[in-house]
Amino acid sequence: MFFYIIKRILATIPVMVIVALFVFLMLRLSPGDPAAVIAGDYATTEDVERIREQLGLNEPIPVQMYKWIAQLARGDLGTAIFSKLPVTTLIGQRLEPTLLLALCTIIFTVLVAVPLGTIAAYKAGSWIDRFVMLFSVAGFSVPIFVLGYMLIYVLSMQLKILPVQGYKSPFEYGLWEFLRHMILPVITLSVIYIALIARMTRATVQEVLQEDYVRTARAKGQSEFKVLMFHALRNAAVPIVTVIGLGIALMIGGVVVTESVYNIPGLGRLVLDAVLARDYPVIQGLILFFSFIYILINLLIDLSYTLLDPRIRY
Amino acid sequence: MNIKGKSRSAMIGALFASAMAFSMATTGFAGDNNTVVIGLQAEPVTFDPTQIADLNTTLVVHRLYEGLVGIKYGTYDLEPRLAESWEISDDGLVYTFKLRAGVKFHDGTDFNADAVKFSWERQRDDTHPAHGELTYRGVNSYLGPVDTIEVVDDLTIRITLSAPSGPFLARVTGMTMRIISPTALLKHGDDIGQFPAGTGPYMLDEWEPGIRATLSANPDYWGGAPEISNLIYVPIVEPAARLSAITTGEIDLTIDVPFDSLADLEANPDVVLKQGASAHVWFVALNTQISDPPFDNVLVRRAMNYAVDKESIVNDILQGTAVVSTGPLSPGYGDMRNANVKQYPYDPEKARELLVEAGHPGGFGNCEFLVPESGSGMQAPVEMGTLIQANLAAVGIDCSIKTMEWGAYLTAYRENPQMAQMSWNPPIGDPDIVMNNLFNSSNFPPGWNAGSYKNEEVDRLVTGASQNADPAIRRDFYLKAQELIVEDAPWIFVNHGSQIIVHSAKLKGFLVSPNFDLILENSTFED
Repeated sequence: MFFYIIKRILATIPVMVIVALFVFLMLRLSPGDPAAVIAGDYATTEDVERIREQLGLNEPIPVQMYKWIAQLARGDLGTAIFSKLPVTTLIGQRLEPTLLLALCTIIFTVLVAVPLGTIAAYKAGSWIDRFVMLFSVAGFSVPIFVLGYMLIYVLSMQLKILPVQGYKSPFEYGLWEFLRHMILPVITLSVIYIALIARMTRATVQEVLQEDYVRTARAKGQSEFKVLMFHALRNAAVPIVTVIGLGIALMIGGVVVTESVYNIPGLGRLVLDAVLARDYPVIQGLILFFSFIYILINLLIDLSYTLLDPRIRY
Repeated sequence: MNIKGKSRSAMIGALFASAMAFSMATTGFAGDNNTVVIGLQAEPVTFDPTQIADLNTTLVVHRLYEGLVGIKYGTYDLEPRLAESWEISDDGLVYTFKLRAGVKFHDGTDFNADAVKFSWERQRDDTHPAHGELTYRGVNSYLGPVDTIEVVDDLTIRITLSAPSGPFLARVTGMTMRIISPTALLKHGDDIGQFPAGTGPYMLDEWEPGIRATLSANPDYWGGAPEISNLIYVPIVEPAARLSAITTGEIDLTIDVPFDSLADLEANPDVVLKQGASAHVWFVALNTQISDPPFDNVLVRRAMNYAVDKESIVNDILQGTAVVSTGPLSPGYGDMRNANVKQYPYDPEKARELLVEAGHPGGFGNCEFLVPESGSGMQAPVEMGTLIQANLAAVGIDCSIKTMEWGAYLTAYRENPQMAQMSWNPPIGDPDIVMNNLFNSSNFPPGWNAGSYKNEEVDRLVTGASQNADPAIRRDFYLKAQELIVEDAPWIFVNHGSQIIVHSAKLKGFLVSPNFDLILENSTFED
C-alpha cells in the first residue's frame, strides 16, 4: 500500500511534465500577444517591440520553454505579467473561495444525490423515481450560466431573499454571511452533478437490490433501512464514488462559469482574466495547479476503494 | 417521509419565515451614508500609474494620483492641478511649471519639483534608483518628446522638449505622468503598485485582490477633503451581474450595463441613468492597399459608407446611446472637430451607382470581415457586424464574418486585415491620438493605421499638428485633415458612443467625464 502510494505519486511527475509542455506550446501557438495588451491603445510599434523584448517573448520558443521548465524545477511558477505578483501568491489569494465553493458543492451534491438515487432505485417505477429521472435529464441539460441567471432573477431580484453576487469569507464575516452568499452558487454548480450522481446511484443500487445477499438480508428480518444502507448502498459504493470523483474533476470547468456569474474571486475567475489578458505565466501556473489537483483526486479515489471494498488491494 | 395537510403548510410557513429573515439581513455594505460602492468590469491590477494597461485600473488610480495638469470636471479642458500655472516659451520648446505649495503625499512626504523629476526620470533612466525591473509603457509616447527635466527651485520645474509638441500639455494629464512620492518609491521599489502614495483626494485603505479595493478620503487634500468618506471598488465581470447588483442596491454606481436594459433603468426611480459625450469613435477599417476585394478604389469605399445604415445601428442596436459619426473625431472634441465634411447618409441606391462607376456593377464577394466577440469600447460588435454585413450584401458586397476573441483579435487587427472593426477611446482630449495614430502612414501595420491608409497631404497635416504648440494652427491642420480623410473614406464611419453610467439616486452632483473617469470627490451621497 505504502509503496503503491509512492509509486503513484512518482508517476504524476511525467504526467505533469507532459501537461506543462503541452500548455506552454498551446499558449505560444495560439494568437494573441501580451505585449500588445500591456502597451495599450496609444503605444507605438517600438513600444510593443520593447515590451516584448523585456518580457523575453522575442526569444526562440525552445529557449523560453527551457527557462520556464528550469524555473518550475525550482518550484517557482513565475511572476504575473500584469500585476507583477508571483503566480503562487495569486493562487494563494484565490484558493479559499474556490476550495470552499467546491467543498460545499460536493457536500450538498452527495447529501442530495445519493438519497435521491437510492430512493428512486428502491421505489423504481413510482412517481418519485420518475421525478428523479426527469430532474436528472433536465439538470444535465441546462447550462450553468442559464440556471445561474434564472436563480438570480427569481430569488435575488424578484423575491430579494438572497444576495445577487459576491463572496464573504467565513473567517472574516462569519458562517451565516458566508452561507447566504454561497447558496445560489452552490445550487447552480451542483445541479448537474446531482443529476449525474443520482442517476448513477439509482442504476447501481437497483442492480445490487437484485443480488442474492439482499434477499438473504431481508429473509433474516433486517429492516428495509438497514438493507438499503448497509447491504445495497455499501456494495454500490465503488461506482458511485468513482462518479463523485470524476464530478469533482469536471467541476474545474463549472467553477470558471459559476465564479463569473456570481462574481466570486476564486481561481476560476483568475483563469478567465488571465486568458483574456494573455498573462502566460498565470495561465500556465493555474493549468499545472489544476492538473495536479486532478491527479491528486484520482489518487484519493483509487485509495478509497480499499476502504469501500476489502477485496481491492494495492 | 409523508408531508400532508397541516405539517405541509407548517413547513411552507417555516420556509417563508426564513425567507423573511434572509431579506431582512440583505443589507450589504451599500447603503452606508458615507460609502459609495462602485461596480467595475474588472478589478484593478496595480496602483502604480506607470504600469496601467486597462480602463478599470485607471478608474481607481485617478483618485489616488494627480498630474501637474488636470482635466476640468465634466469636460476635456485642461486646468492647473499640481502645477498652479505654467509658461510655454515662444518656440514651444520650454515648459516652466510653477508648482502648488503645501501639498503632501499620502505618506507625508512633501510634494515639490524634485518629486516631479524623480517620478519622470524613474521611467526613462535605467540607472535611476527607482527604475527597477519594470517595463515602462509611456517612455516613448508620453516622455518621448522630453529632452531635459530641470529643477529650478523647490516649486519650479522646467521641461525642455526636443521638438515642439502639440499634445504635450494634454499628455501631462496622462496616467504615466502622475507624480508618486519619492520616499515611497525608494522604500517599495517595484512593489509600489501595492503601496500607492500620491497626492489625490483619496488614499488606498485596503486592497483585497479579486474582492474589493477600499479608498478613504484624504483628510489633508489640498483641494479640501471630499464629502464621501469611503469608496469601495468591486469587480463584477458580467454585465448582467452588474445590472442586478445596481438594481438591488448592492452597488451604488456602475458602468457598461446591457443595452437592452436601458429602458427599464430609465423607468426605475431608485437609479439614475446618465449619458455623456465622449471622444469615442467606432469604425470599420478598410485595407486601402488591396485590389481584391477592391478596397483600394475610393469609389468602392465611399459606396460602402453609403450602404451601411448607421441610424439603424445607433437606434436599434445601441438604443440611442450613440450618435452617427461623420468623421473620425466625435463632438466631444469641440471646435477641433470638422462637421462640414462630405456626408454619407444611408443611400443604397447611391452605393450601387458608385459600384457601377467603380467597375463592379454586380458588387463583389470574397471579402473577410473581422469582428471581435467583445472588447473594450466595442459596444455590440457581433450584432453591429451582422447588420453591416447585411447592409453590404444588399448592394452586392458579400462579406463573410470571422469572429475572434478579443486578445487574439488585437493581434489580427494589426496584421493587415481586409476589413475590421475597431473603436478608440482616447484617455486624453487631444486629437493627436486619433488623427496621428490612426491615419499617419508612419503608423502602418503593425501600427494602428490598420487599413494602411496613405495620403501625403494628410501625413503632412497630422505630423505638422503634432509638432506645433499653437492651438489655432493645429486646429486649421486638423480641420483640413478631417476633410481629406472623410473624402478618402479609409473607414466606414459608424458612430460615437456615449458613456453610460448608472448610479443610485442617492448619489448627488455626479457628472459624467468625457475621458470615462468616475469622479466622486465633487459628489455627495444622501438618502
